[in-house]
Amino acid sequence: MITLYYAPGSPHSTAVRIVLAEKDIEHQLHKLDLVAYEQHSPEYLEVNCHGMVPTLRDGGRLLFDSFAILQYLDEVHPGTVLAGGDPRERYLASKWGKYVETHIASHLAIARWAALKGKVPGHARAGLERLLPERAQLWQRAMEGFGPEQLAVSTNALVKAGDRLADDLAGNEWLCGDTFTIGDIAVFPHLFQFAMLGIRYPREIDDWMERVAARPSVAALKEDLFPVAVMGPEPGRWG
Amino acid sequence: MIEVYTWEPNANSGKPLFCLSEKGVPFTHHYVDMGAHEHFSPEFLAINPDGTIPAIVHDGFVMTESTPAMEYIDEVFEGPSLRPEDPFRRWEMRILMRYMDNVVAPSLAMIASNRLAAPRFVGQDPAELRAQLDRIPLPERRTAWEKLMFQSTSEEEIAESERRVAEAIGRFDAILERHPWLAGEEFSLADIGVFATFYGLSQARPAEVNESKTPNLLRWLRRCHERPALQAAFRIGRGFIGQRAAEIRQQLSVSEATVR
Repeated sequence: MITLYYAPGSPHSTAVRIVLAEKDIEHQLHKLDLVAYEQHSPEYLEVNCHGMVPTLRDGGRLLFDSFAILQYLDEVHPGTVLAGGDPRERYLASKWGKYVETHIASHLAIARWAALKGKVPGHARAGLERLLPERAQLWQRAMEGFGPEQLAVSTNALVKAGDRLADDLAGNEWLCGDTFTIGDIAVFPHLFQFAMLGIRYPREIDDWMERVAARPSVAALKEDLFPVAVMGPEPGRWG
Repeated sequence: MIEVYTWEPNANSGKPLFCLSEKGVPFTHHYVDMGAHEHFSPEFLAINPDGTIPAIVHDGFVMTESTPAMEYIDEVFEGPSLRPEDPFRRWEMRILMRYMDNVVAPSLAMIASNRLAAPRFVGQDPAELRAQLDRIPLPERRTAWEKLMFQSTSEEEIAESERRVAEAIGRFDAILERHPWLAGEEFSLADIGVFATFYGLSQARPAEVNESKTPNLLRWLRRCHERPALQAAFRIGRGFIGQRAAEIRQQLSVSEATVR
């Protein structure tokens, strides 16, 4: 049996839930409350030492890194193939999977933290001390607050991501071509938060957003898409 | 036809070269001279507007992300498979490549470029350096180069990168204690991804990577350097990385494969 450790407000969690629904994979859910910082509890850190969601438990194995989880679920379970219809689509989906982590999720977390006026409450401070150094450093920066320079860098990165998305969508029904893929699934829950945080993106993207949002797998998770002030992956440290 | 635009068989530039060589796929190599800033030339920017190498072009389809491009090459071309059959092993292969790409390689790049490239800029005309920076398309890359040119990488950043590289060395050694290759019993893209950046580790960091501290990592380095296809890929380019690889083989007592 598969168990997904997930949290509402975590775009990476929502992406995995979309794949579970699209492929009709039987599973159990273990919900974490990000507002209560349950992802930093000693119990959850046993499951995922990074203190990040999602984590997938498949039998005795624990899998992390959400895009690699999407690929794993697609390869293990029969049904609709979501990796892409041909090698080019599969390359593009993987390219976007990587871009989401390095250029979108990391900067979105910073923009979100600023827009939602994120704070680490007193009871959550102990959790930060349990984290691995790189996660602790990122949360320390969040506690101190991101300065205008970092916010400008993050906003510009997100605006650029929207422009790139529009470029790849030009003339296509889906992000990687004719097939709905894990590329669409990885990107959409992040893009959904752009408008709410005042990040502008080209209008052409709206049509694609509507197409994705209309899928039953996505429509059923609407409540989970709304942003929560929480750190994402670390922004790139060098080049 | 598949064409590869890269510099030397090193780091990201090395990945498609090692991968194609292992598969035995013929390809055209276009040398992009980074020293002469050819990756920012109008000709190359027409292929990849980001000005990053490598760029891999297959029948007009341009790929600029080296790790997904390796999976594409493995899938499209005949030759030995470089990805495990088992989806769980594939997941392991992918998380290792992601760890290498996002955490380890940038840390090593920060350390190496501060040691090797930064001193070159001391005393140069700041206006000239600014003009060079303006030619770099990606903002994150511009920031890194700005730090190099004006020596503003902090001690803390370098120390953090050192910590991460040391951690990776320990982590890889532990994985290689369990199985001969990074994603299991078979050589895979994870080995190429790590080797492309770590091939010189025993020479560059002898105090950390040696027989007594990291015996498994050292055995793996030897096994990689012994592979005829990887030796052959080191011969691509203008010779200075190939020369370095030959010195490392000698240091590791790895014999030269018969030239194919």
